[in-house]
Amino acid sequence: MQQQESQTGERKRFFRDDLESSENNIPFVAPILNNKDSSLFGDQAQSEKEEVRSSRISQQLASFGEQLKELIPDLSDAICSKLFEKFGNGDSAISSAVDYYFEHSKSLLMGSDDIPDIIDLSQDPKGNDDRSSSHYSSSHNLNSDPPQVIEENSTPSMMSLMTQSIQLKRKRANRQEEVSKKIKHEPTWKRFIGSLPATAMITRPTIKPLEYGSQLIMHASNTENSKSSKIYNSNGKRKVSMAHLVRILDQKSGREIGRMPEELARLIHPLIDASGVIFNLTLIYGGDRRLSVGDNFIVQLDCYLTSDIFGEYDSSSDTVDHNKKKSKWEPSSQSMVETDNELSDRFKRMGLITLFKKLRIREITDESSHLKSLEKDINEEIIDLEDDDAYDSIMSEQNDIGTEIDENETMNLNQLQNFYNVAQSTEALKNLPETTPSTDIMKLELRKYQKQGLTWMLRREGEFMKAAHSTGEETPDTTMMNPLWKQFAWPKDMSWSKQDVSDSADPSTKSLFFYGNLHTGEFSLEKPVLTTSMKGGILSDEMGLGKTISTLSLILSSPHDESLNEKQLFEQDEVSTQNPEIPYAAKTTLIVVPMSLLNQWESEFKKACNNDEMHSEIYYGGNVSNLKTFLTKTKTPPTVLITTYGIIQNEWTKFQKEGHDAKLHGGRGLFSIKFYRIVLDEGHIIRNRNTVTSKAVMQLSGSRRWVLTGTPIINRLDDMYSLVKFLRLEPWSQIGFWKQFVSVPFENKLFKQAFDVVNSIMEPVFLRRTKQMKDSNGEPLVNLPPKQIVVERLKLNEKQESLYKTLLQQAETSVRQGLAQGDLLKKYSIILVNILRLRQVCCDVRLIGAQDEMDEDLSKSNTMVDNASSVGKLIDDAEDVDDSTGFQEEEFNKAVLSLKEKHDLTDPKLSLECSICTTEPIDLNDIVFTECLHPFCRTCLTEYCDYQDMRNLDLKCPLCRNDISRKRLLTLSKNNDGTFDVVQYGRIQRNAKVASLIKHLQQLQDSSPGEQVVVFSQFSTYLDILENDLKEAIPSDQVEIYKFDGRLNLKERSTVLERFQQKDPSKQKILLLSLKAGGVGLNLTCASYAFMMDPWWSPSMEDQAVDRIHRIGQTSNVQVTRFIIEDSIEEKMLRIQERKRTIGEAMDADEDERRKRRIDEIKMLFE
Amino acid sequence: MASLPKRIIKETERLVTDPVPGITAEPHDDNLRYFQVTIEGPAGSPYEEGLFQLELYLPDDYPMEAPKVRFLTKIYHPNIDRLGRICLDILKTNWSPALQIRTVLLSVQALLASPNPNDPLANDVAEDWIKNEQGAKQTAREWTQRYAKK
Repeated sequence: MQQQESQTGERKRFFRDDLESSENNIPFVAPILNNKDSSLFGDQAQSEKEEVRSSRISQQLASFGEQLKELIPDLSDAICSKLFEKFGNGDSAISSAVDYYFEHSKSLLMGSDDIPDIIDLSQDPKGNDDRSSSHYSSSHNLNSDPPQVIEENSTPSMMSLMTQSIQLKRKRANRQEEVSKKIKHEPTWKRFIGSLPATAMITRPTIKPLEYGSQLIMHASNTENSKSSKIYNSNGKRKVSMAHLVRILDQKSGREIGRMPEELARLIHPLIDASGVIFNLTLIYGGDRRLSVGDNFIVQLDCYLTSDIFGEYDSSSDTVDHNKKKSKWEPSSQSMVETDNELSDRFKRMGLITLFKKLRIREITDESSHLKSLEKDINEEIIDLEDDDAYDSIMSEQNDIGTEIDENETMNLNQLQNFYNVAQSTEALKNLPETTPSTDIMKLELRKYQKQGLTWMLRREGEFMKAAHSTGEETPDTTMMNPLWKQFAWPKDMSWSKQDVSDSADPSTKSLFFYGNLHTGEFSLEKPVLTTSMKGGILSDEMGLGKTISTLSLILSSPHDESLNEKQLFEQDEVSTQNPEIPYAAKTTLIVVPMSLLNQWESEFKKACNNDEMHSEIYYGGNVSNLKTFLTKTKTPPTVLITTYGIIQNEWTKFQKEGHDAKLHGGRGLFSIKFYRIVLDEGHIIRNRNTVTSKAVMQLSGSRRWVLTGTPIINRLDDMYSLVKFLRLEPWSQIGFWKQFVSVPFENKLFKQAFDVVNSIMEPVFLRRTKQMKDSNGEPLVNLPPKQIVVERLKLNEKQESLYKTLLQQAETSVRQGLAQGDLLKKYSIILVNILRLRQVCCDVRLIGAQDEMDEDLSKSNTMVDNASSVGKLIDDAEDVDDSTGFQEEEFNKAVLSLKEKHDLTDPKLSLECSICTTEPIDLNDIVFTECLHPFCRTCLTEYCDYQDMRNLDLKCPLCRNDISRKRLLTLSKNNDGTFDVVQYGRIQRNAKVASLIKHLQQLQDSSPGEQVVVFSQFSTYLDILENDLKEAIPSDQVEIYKFDGRLNLKERSTVLERFQQKDPSKQKILLLSLKAGGVGLNLTCASYAFMMDPWWSPSMEDQAVDRIHRIGQTSNVQVTRFIIEDSIEEKMLRIQERKRTIGEAMDADEDERRKRRIDEIKMLFE
Repeated sequence: MASLPKRIIKETERLVTDPVPGITAEPHDDNLRYFQVTIEGPAGSPYEEGLFQLELYLPDDYPMEAPKVRFLTKIYHPNIDRLGRICLDILKTNWSPALQIRTVLLSVQALLASPNPNDPLANDVAEDWIKNEQGAKQTAREWTQRYAKK
């Protein structure tokens, strides 16, 4: 060590002198050489070269320093020189140095005096980072063979890989001999990891039979070794493979007796001379006679990991470090040439991986429960790794995987489930202790799992004092294992030497696990944790489990930042040093919600909060004039500030426009404050990071960040990225990292790899409970009453039907054209409009042409289609329902009177015969009277009219031959008391769905009056139509109809919901709810009946809607009726929904895949 | 063949259970839309004492479309041609789905009672009927005797 220090001293002087002439450096070089006089190459003959070299070094150092300082301006000379010492002057030296600097800046700075930490590094091959081995070898190389290394490093591009590897071999040999000449470094301990049997071959005849159990030595030989190279030069072909020759020597005699089988040799060859791994070779069978060349004998190869490989893992260093390291080798493996060190490093790494595979050492994913350990096939790990290392070799395999997946789509589903399973990590969750918020602050009683959730959330925020502790559990780590590391269990010691060698002194025997980063070949005994400074996480409980309540309990339990004391709270403008322009609202949690939930959050807060000092405020529009003052200067700022995504987007856009001015004034509105906590409700809204909303939300500043969402993945795995980015979960929030470890592998169909990484990213920050989950007592988390979903299939009415047929033809034509010309997706929007039309007709013809906010994006192609087709005419047809040829008020009244004279409509047994079908009596619900008061079945008369129209014949009453008109027909409308009213036919011509809905509603009102009913549709125009029809059909003293859609403003929304929720025993309350405006978040448990008027493409959207009523708080059975038109596009949509459920939409691998799927779907619709 | 509409079954049943005087109509065993019809010549007409065979076929669109009726027995009538085709407005433009087999056959019977030479189908017969009504009636009577004897 002393020697080392003096060496540093020398070096330091050298660097201080570096501005002086190069001759001054010569004296410096000598000590190095003297130090290294054990080295084979440290002979005098080279000292002359050294002169040249040292002058060159100083030049290189100067330029190195310059470059480095460009990147890191405040870099001190001392550190600079250290870095140079470490990384030389190669192509990648600068970048490596920069990386290293950032990783180890602390140690570098500390060591910038006299503590030679870098030298430590070179002296102690353990190293303390992943590149330890390469540093190790590099330092040795520098010492042992300096001219060569410098040459290589300075001109790597000039060298082919071939010569590199040869040189590598040579160096290794040199190093090995050097090492053996030196007193071999003794590891402090070693531990068995497995043994392999091997059949070795005798290369030299033995005099007597080999002794059972005799210890053998392995010696890795090289082609560069003069003797062996001669031998194998004669056999040129085999030379390459002989590079991995491992000879076996008898320990006693030191005589070579044989060699290892080639496959094994290739594996262990790079490892023999590497530190960290030790092999013990024992002869277990050699036969009982003397052996001659070519005979086989069997050996047992015991493998140990030594303390060397378990460098002191610096567990305090944070995430960024490791991933910087990661990135360090990553680009280099992609760039053309690998340096020698990297190459040898790689050989070693791959050797280790293969060895691990051979030894069947498997990673453990779930430490807490070995029983349920999701063991992963190490084979796949190999694929992953090789993918990083050797691109070409893996391509074929990748393709294999790809096709396999194509064939078996359900694998995707499994993957998604797997993702959720791991993310849930059930066992651990069950055992979370419960935190009960004090009743002083929280009025509501939490459920068990919500209390557990609270514990988890408090822990995520680092509020351990507030979170409950379970007995026996140590303080839970908020840290996660570095995702690039794998956990392994020590295998039972089965080695040959176990009997006699007791390694009880081994400090590691107690530990059950060790950890390895197979990407870097780095090992550790301690769990390589990432301590994230990030506070917050993703609460992803399934819909209806009470994310809101859980969050409120968190807010109430920890309402303000206690790290700041009262005084600071008011002075923190000055206190916060980092960005004095952004004041810190240390007492306020910002909650961002979709507009429809604004009031719900407020009322939930009021319900939950039991502390008068805490209050909530809605930030909506300009209701708060100066937010900054309001939140930071007042004595009692609101505990909760609720706002919407829209507001944020709005403010952001304005802020952007104002540009620098605004920035000078410290931002604007919400952006001018740093919040104590930010909560995003329905956080998947920001999933597309390119939307303005998403961008705006990212800019909010807060010290704790939460995302609430029941559906973190909606379309693709990358949806998660936005959440991660919002959470500032380093380093994954950098798109590069995410891409590299998630997106790219995913696109390459390495699903497992991508999911594994996502899992490990998410595991610590992600809490998801589902309704199906059981608590530790085996009880389900939530006991929701059962829900029943009935699909009711209906037929179109005649008008709908004819229109449907026309439109279908049109749509089919365009699809067929699209398929034929191969530009189906170019026509996508047109086809979408066509499909939309069909769906609209299924609901009501009046929807066609109605501007619907659902389809803004379609409006352009909308007009295109409409112009190009007869839709205009069709719409006319639909509209002329109430044109002037119909009854005038007077005529109508007259007709009604005479009809009543002719037939006793009060008689429920009224029996009339339809002269067309001769049915008697005609169903009074389905009766039509001509103007001449002749009764017919609705269908018969319609059929007649259609037939006549078809033949261009006049419409005449079949009975009296008077002219009739479709628009001048009468029909009966049943009242609730069983009597009938005469109404004009056609005006009330109800489509099938409305008719059925009315029927259901009336039945419901008969059987249980005063129910609340929710009716969903995605077309808000349809809601209008429904509203009218229902009002016409049901007497107003029996029903109250509310409508909730995107057109309501905030106040109206809350009024509507409030009034709907008040139960009125005499009146049925019907809420017409737009799927888009009210499909998420709302709590409508007062209703237990729902009707879905039209299907939506994605089943999850409908599930969300149903969960508005089927959620916690629901006490009755839930009955959902879905109306589907038979043999129509709606039924096909059901099939697509089914398909989406099985495939899992999230698994759409890439753009092509999605495109293909879309075409499939379109084909499905029109098959 | 498409299944028989309820209406046809009902009509057929009624024709059997409640037959119209002077008219019979029986569906064919193989094709229930095909009827063998007989009509007695109305009393006081030249066709008295005659029994005329007709065939009646209900097209697929019945009752939207009129049944097809044709005389099989030769008859001397200005509105019935040599092929037995009948000129009757309700079988053509004035068809109404409210009409039935029974009413159609009654109309045919009525046509025998009151021929309408002004809307002829058999032009020669109609001419004869207009020029020499008595002679024409005589011929009709003869034909009835010859071809439609009971």
